[in-house]
Amino acid sequence: MTDLYMAGSADTPEIDFKFSSNTLEMSGEAYPENGVEFFLPVLKQLQAYLKSLTGDSVEFNFKLTYFNSVSTKILYSLFELLNEYAKSNPDSVKLNWFHDEDDDTILSFGLDIQEDFPWIDFNAIAVA
Amino acid sequence: MLIDVFTLFREEADSNGIVFYYSGVLSQNVIKAMGDSLKQKLQKQDEKGAKSRKVFSTFIEMIQNAMHYSPSSPDYVPSSPDNDISKEGSIIVGKDNDKYFIICANFIEKRFEQRIREKLDPILSMTAEEIKLAYRQQLKNDQHGDDSISKGAGLGFLTLARDSIEPIEYALRSAVGSEDELTCFYLKATI
Repeated sequence: MTDLYMAGSADTPEIDFKFSSNTLEMSGEAYPENGVEFFLPVLKQLQAYLKSLTGDSVEFNFKLTYFNSVSTKILYSLFELLNEYAKSNPDSVKLNWFHDEDDDTILSFGLDIQEDFPWIDFNAIAVA
Repeated sequence: MLIDVFTLFREEADSNGIVFYYSGVLSQNVIKAMGDSLKQKLQKQDEKGAKSRKVFSTFIEMIQNAMHYSPSSPDYVPSSPDNDISKEGSIIVGKDNDKYFIICANFIEKRFEQRIREKLDPILSMTAEEIKLAYRQQLKNDQHGDDSISKGAGLGFLTLARDSIEPIEYALRSAVGSEDELTCFYLKATI
């Protein structure tokens, strides 16, 4: 499957999904005018990628520093997809949750993800 | 003379702790530029950054909500060209002692008044713990396709309420001159 790369901008994240090496990364800020329109194709590609896998391990580096409420909701669906894959392939998904050490908002969203999607191996990484 | 009036306006704003004020057309490009300006101003005032991030987040939620709710739907026909205020809004960020306040104002179609009340009134009566629970519930709720106008405003208002250190406040006031079709919606949060 072809890798997915989208350069970031002020209100959209950099998306670097290296499907070929099972390493997915998202960084920057996300508050596009229409979050659903922006993220839906990304989710669809992720879904197709996960379907194509045969139990491979996937590593997701989450490095967003801000995302608005619409993006939050879509990201939740994204982690739901990863959780479903991990449920059928235990110990296959590692989520590295990078957050600024004094950003309790992003950490607490990460902890919600950890609680709701227990099949994902959640790893919080505080950045100084 | 007008320069004196403007001088007074600026000095009054400064002495009242106004960090940022905008009134005009709302587009995503304008919002990006305002966000950048606000970030730079906040960075100078709050070196730790945790508070800055919440002010920025509140600002973006409010102004995007204003943009989405402002009359713009294809079926909205202003009664006269002078009433075409589509996609306009005002926002102010200020600092009062150690607290930031953010107030946003925008016109909405009168028929959305009830929907806004129904979304905000329950939040206003919630404790901080109840807001957190409602936020979690709304996050899990998968029905974001059923209401194209509010985009996910349910989670947006709860995000504002969660970050506000005082209960959020709102007001709906008749738009002078367009009372029958438009209402001015005010929303306030404190960080």
